[in-house]
Amino acid sequence: MSEPSAPIVVDALEPWPGTVDWRPVSSRLITVHLIGIAIWTVVLLGGLLAGYLIVGGAPWLYGMGAVLALTVWRAVVAARAVRAWGYAERDNDLLVRHGLLVRHLSIVPYARMQYVDVTAGPLERAFGLATVQLHTAAAASNARVPGLPPDEASRLRDRLTALGEDRAEGL
Amino acid sequence: MPLARGGGASGVPDDGLPSVGETAGAADAGGTTGAAAEEARQRLHPLSPLLKGAKSIAVIVAALSWNTLGEVGATDFALIVLALAVAVVIVSAIGWWNTGYHVVGRELRITEGLLWRRNRAIPLDRLQAVEVRRPLLAQLTGLAELRLEVVGGSKTEAPLAYLTVRDAGVLRERLLSLSGRAPAVAAAPSPGSTAAEVPLFQVRNQDLLVSQLLTPQAFFLPLGVAWVITQFVMEGTWTFIGIASTVTAMAGVLLQPIRRVLRDWDFRLFRGERLVLHYGLTETRSQVLPPHRVQTVRVTWPLLWRAKQWLHLTLDIAGVSGPEPGDDHRSDRLMPVGDLAAARALVATALPGVDLTGLATSPPPLRARWLHPFGLRFYGAGLTDQVFVSRSGRLTREMTLVPYARLQSVRVVQGPLQRRLGLATVYADTAGGRAGEARDRDLAEAYAIADQLAARSRRARDALAVAYSPGPAAPAAIAPGVMPPFVAPPGFVPPAAAPPGFVPPPGFVPPAVAPPGFVPPAVAPPGAAGQPFSEPDDETYWQRPERS
Repeated sequence: MSEPSAPIVVDALEPWPGTVDWRPVSSRLITVHLIGIAIWTVVLLGGLLAGYLIVGGAPWLYGMGAVLALTVWRAVVAARAVRAWGYAERDNDLLVRHGLLVRHLSIVPYARMQYVDVTAGPLERAFGLATVQLHTAAAASNARVPGLPPDEASRLRDRLTALGEDRAEGL
Repeated sequence: MPLARGGGASGVPDDGLPSVGETAGAADAGGTTGAAAEEARQRLHPLSPLLKGAKSIAVIVAALSWNTLGEVGATDFALIVLALAVAVVIVSAIGWWNTGYHVVGRELRITEGLLWRRNRAIPLDRLQAVEVRRPLLAQLTGLAELRLEVVGGSKTEAPLAYLTVRDAGVLRERLLSLSGRAPAVAAAPSPGSTAAEVPLFQVRNQDLLVSQLLTPQAFFLPLGVAWVITQFVMEGTWTFIGIASTVTAMAGVLLQPIRRVLRDWDFRLFRGERLVLHYGLTETRSQVLPPHRVQTVRVTWPLLWRAKQWLHLTLDIAGVSGPEPGDDHRSDRLMPVGDLAAARALVATALPGVDLTGLATSPPPLRARWLHPFGLRFYGAGLTDQVFVSRSGRLTREMTLVPYARLQSVRVVQGPLQRRLGLATVYADTAGGRAGEARDRDLAEAYAIADQLAARSRRARDALAVAYSPGPAAPAAIAPGVMPPFVAPPGFVPPAAAPPGFVPPPGFVPPAVAPPGFVPPAVAPPGAAGQPFSEPDDETYWQRPERS
């Protein structure tokens, strides 16, 4: 068996380099994520502070320190994670990549599309963003593109549905 | 009560066809005039409420449990059960009165419910499989239950319980002929005639018994019995209730082999236009499965069966979502037990053109042994002409076959450990819930596999679309499984074309010489000189020397 003794260096986020036209998601999604993290932190810190004021003792302070450290780490990761998201529309399929710790790449043929979801939460709406999700008959398929400006989201949705109708064969 | 069957409108309830969302009050206001042009709605068999009630009694008794029997005494217990049973039968009878079904165009419409009316229209072109089930009581009364599997249903949609056997057979044949996209389906044999035919495959009941004795549960049964006996001898608490509870609790787990024997008894498989499976002792089932609905086939070699060289086959169809590993309830049996020759014939039947013995796989790179210290050589994946093959498992060996035409999506996932080793896992998702997995491949290879899967599934779909599209343009010669010539997909870059900035690590052999990555079709090995260009290049790559 002839194996290369060292792994071939390929970036997990860049399959087939040079042939795929990756599009990033909006960087405003970073702000949305940061606000979400901030809310989470404030709630946790408030709870810990209340515990400290009522009960007292050092463990509450350690807990607050841990929460702050976790917040900083999550904020750093959030920014990088949003930059790692990407999608590409090829002739026959949609590519979606995401994830830093666990990296995912999904290839979903348009013909397999069952329906398309466009959702926007309150925070996303405030920043003018929307999420497009492509569903197939397989539960495991995961083609979700968050952080799209509304017109890009509706363009993508219309394109996906149009292509899906053209090529649909059911199962 | 008159039984409305075959166009007689006498027993049909007075409401017409209320649209979905209408309340019971609004539905009652509708007249029969609207439905005059359509086929009359039919009732289920009048014995249905009794049979359903009998099923509920078993559930009630189980819910009351042995403790209640101990507390209230046998007479009161019987009275409670009787009262509940009468109530259940009355409720079932009301349900029966309000349940009807009929075929409209290419839809089966089912109406049910008294307070919450439910109207379901099941588009028959989405029908995946039809099953006729006859539990013990139904066998005694000559009735059957018709179950339809539809895509997107988390459970079996629309069980029609119960019909007479003849009605169930006729309705099944009708639904299947309406569902088929191939025009040849009309010539399919009726299920009545298949009983006289010689089955393509049959499991000897003796083999079935032996195979279920060779399961972990069967080995643990004596241990469990011994444990119960010692428990009671040591404790000295020989109460009837106590023993009965323990035995009931243990039976749930340890009697699984017996349940399997009862379920798979007298397994026969017929091959007509579609696959027809008959099995069961206390509950006979007869399942009709169009082959193009098969999403995946899984081949399993259990550890304890190895001495007998037996294996079993299961298949997944869409609509039965997310089967748990080890839960063989949800997916369907293709072969409960058999040897390799039988398995080979059955795989070729379910997936035309696939030879089980000719499926070459290649193991992950050696450095994946950090993730699989023991079973590395039992992992493998391969791209063959028709199916994506993946293998796993050291003790219980498994092989999953996913036809390219059934692929829903392809995923490449790389976890943190895999990133350190430069590995990635490729998933081939299907609508059956199970995915083919090429575990821990080299990253470049994983992308090549993913790319090949996407390209091949596209070609297989195109071939299917051509084969099934009506009209003179359709070349009838294209069988569903025949692959068009291999063409390198546009996005495919062989590893030889290294990305800019790529520095070969020391010891790296360029793929043009050794084939660790995909060999471009132009570089054909000497042995393949006579092969036409249409042969996929995986012949050179995937057939690495396998351990025999």
